[in-house]
Amino acid sequence: MSTTGAVRVSRRSALVLAVASLAGLMMLCWPLLLQAPGEARVDPPFLFVALLPVVVAVVLAELTEGGLDARVLAMLGVLSAVQAVLRAVSAGTAGVELVFFMLVLAGRVFGPGFGFVLGCTSLFASALMTAGVGPWLPFQMMCSAWLGMGAGLLPRRVRGRWEIAMLAAYGVVAAYLFGALMNLSSWPFLLGVQVPGHEGSLAFVPGAPLLDNLSTFLVYTLVTSTGSFDTVRAVTNLVAIVLLGPAVLTTLRRAARRATVVGTVRSADDAQEPVRA
Amino acid sequence: MSATTSGLRSRVEVARLPRDLHPLAWYAWAIGLAAAASSTTNPLVLGLLLAVASLVVVARRSDQPWAASFRLYLWLALLVVVLRVVFRIVFGGTYPGTVLLDLPEVPLPDWVLGVTLLGAVTREGLLGGVYDGLRLATIIVCIGAANALANPKRLLRSVPPALHEVGTALVVAVTVLPQLADSVRRVRAAQQLRAGEQRRVRGLRRVLVPVLEDALERSLALAAGMDARGYGRAPGQTRRERWTTGAFLLLGLGGICVGVYGVLDRTAPRVLAAPVLVLGLVAAVAGLTTAGRRVRRSRYRPDRWRWPELAVLGSGVVVAAVGVWASREQLTIAYPDLTGVPEISLALLVGVLVGAVPALVAPEPVSRTRAVAA
Repeated sequence: MSTTGAVRVSRRSALVLAVASLAGLMMLCWPLLLQAPGEARVDPPFLFVALLPVVVAVVLAELTEGGLDARVLAMLGVLSAVQAVLRAVSAGTAGVELVFFMLVLAGRVFGPGFGFVLGCTSLFASALMTAGVGPWLPFQMMCSAWLGMGAGLLPRRVRGRWEIAMLAAYGVVAAYLFGALMNLSSWPFLLGVQVPGHEGSLAFVPGAPLLDNLSTFLVYTLVTSTGSFDTVRAVTNLVAIVLLGPAVLTTLRRAARRATVVGTVRSADDAQEPVRA
Repeated sequence: MSATTSGLRSRVEVARLPRDLHPLAWYAWAIGLAAAASSTTNPLVLGLLLAVASLVVVARRSDQPWAASFRLYLWLALLVVVLRVVFRIVFGGTYPGTVLLDLPEVPLPDWVLGVTLLGAVTREGLLGGVYDGLRLATIIVCIGAANALANPKRLLRSVPPALHEVGTALVVAVTVLPQLADSVRRVRAAQQLRAGEQRRVRGLRRVLVPVLEDALERSLALAAGMDARGYGRAPGQTRRERWTTGAFLLLGLGGICVGVYGVLDRTAPRVLAAPVLVLGLVAAVAGLTTAGRRVRRSRYRPDRWRWPELAVLGSGVVVAAVGVWASREQLTIAYPDLTGVPEISLALLVGVLVGAVPALVAPEPVSRTRAVAA
């Protein structure tokens, strides 16, 4: 279970995942990549909001192409429901999102493919239930899918206390990264696009050198959210993983062992652990 | 002759009997409205779009819980506009035009790149903020309208076959939720009978772990049930079919990547933008179709596309087409000058009002009539 994960990622799937991630990253980071000549009017490309769901759908279709085991599928559904509850519970308090801690732990236990799919399904399910469907949803799904996948890619050999420490550190980094990426996707929408003749600050300047826009964006994200939302989210992740992590990891591992047993019948003395369910 | 006419009429009337409209029709309509909103900053057009979306929601929403979420979207839209204007004032800097309020400039220290806060607030600056914020707010409200109108459970049933597994997992998630609430209640009750720490974090662990165990246990039971009913026992695809699927998916993603690059780099050849993007999309859809062929499933009472669905879809398409056309042909109306009063053209007015057609043609939702009959 530890080598392949609950959702197998074949070499082809890995390639699809890489290309899709590139496309998603380009759509997220478009303000930094845009090259506009001269005085042309620049509007935020709303097109990407419609395009990103197709990219996500392609990756999900590829990952589940061989068909999912019924146990893995049920696990996916139930964990998505748990995530949706956690999100609904923690949604009222700004930035305190318990979603990520569960996603990190589940990605760690069930592997990168499962983490990716769970990141998508859990945000989609919770959005359906908590009025979260909106133009931001595809971006959130993509980012949390990366987050779950990244948790699954962390080194496998680390165990015990070091594992918790590693996951907690990952949770903190992921919280800031997620905040920054989501800010990047909303920055030109909330602050507007700089038009010629207007000397504002912190707004996106189309066609300016990458570093200029990047530093403007970093200041924007520092001022608006790194100090408040993202830090609260990071601390939530840290505390949740350190305090609840060991117990939840044990629970998930036990379930994973039972959910990912593949029955290859050979001889009686070679029998695997029986599947109770 | 008359028999066929009456048959046709009865079919027309049957399609309008109280029922849930196909959720994808609602989403297509909403995306059409959002597309029109995204291609203009004219506050008259945007206000009209907001009114149309709200009208349809009020006329055709059911009394199910998801229909109540529309109010949240309206508040969120208001927040977006306010936030946009506040950002404009705080970080706005100088914007040429009529000065309304001469606030002092507050330069921040050098390490924040010489950002200046506040400064003179001009009418044009404020209006620009409101227009841009209104555009985003309208898009949010349009999607919110679809969210309030479409039945999410039926939406999950109409995921494309290629995403069959993921869709099933989502259905499981939605159906498991009430059981989770029940499970939390049971565990809480059991914990209250025991001694021990009731502090917040420990308390959370004492609830979370049993609930999680319970949920995972249940998922294995569910999987056993699905296995017993033959879930996932479909013949796999042949090597060749798999190869085609993979090629299409990769080609599609590659096309989308190149297309996005073409859209972003305006100095690149234009062939790389729209044409490649469309090609990539077509390939991706073809890949999804071939990937979906392996799934053979039958549906219990499938949602069918009847004429009200097509009318709702069509109205969305008309609104989007008129909006995009206006952003190309009537530039001064689609993006009005900040110094004058915005105007609206007849084509845009009529085109946007077509978006209100669903308020008339869509069938009434089921629940309301039931309540009346009871």
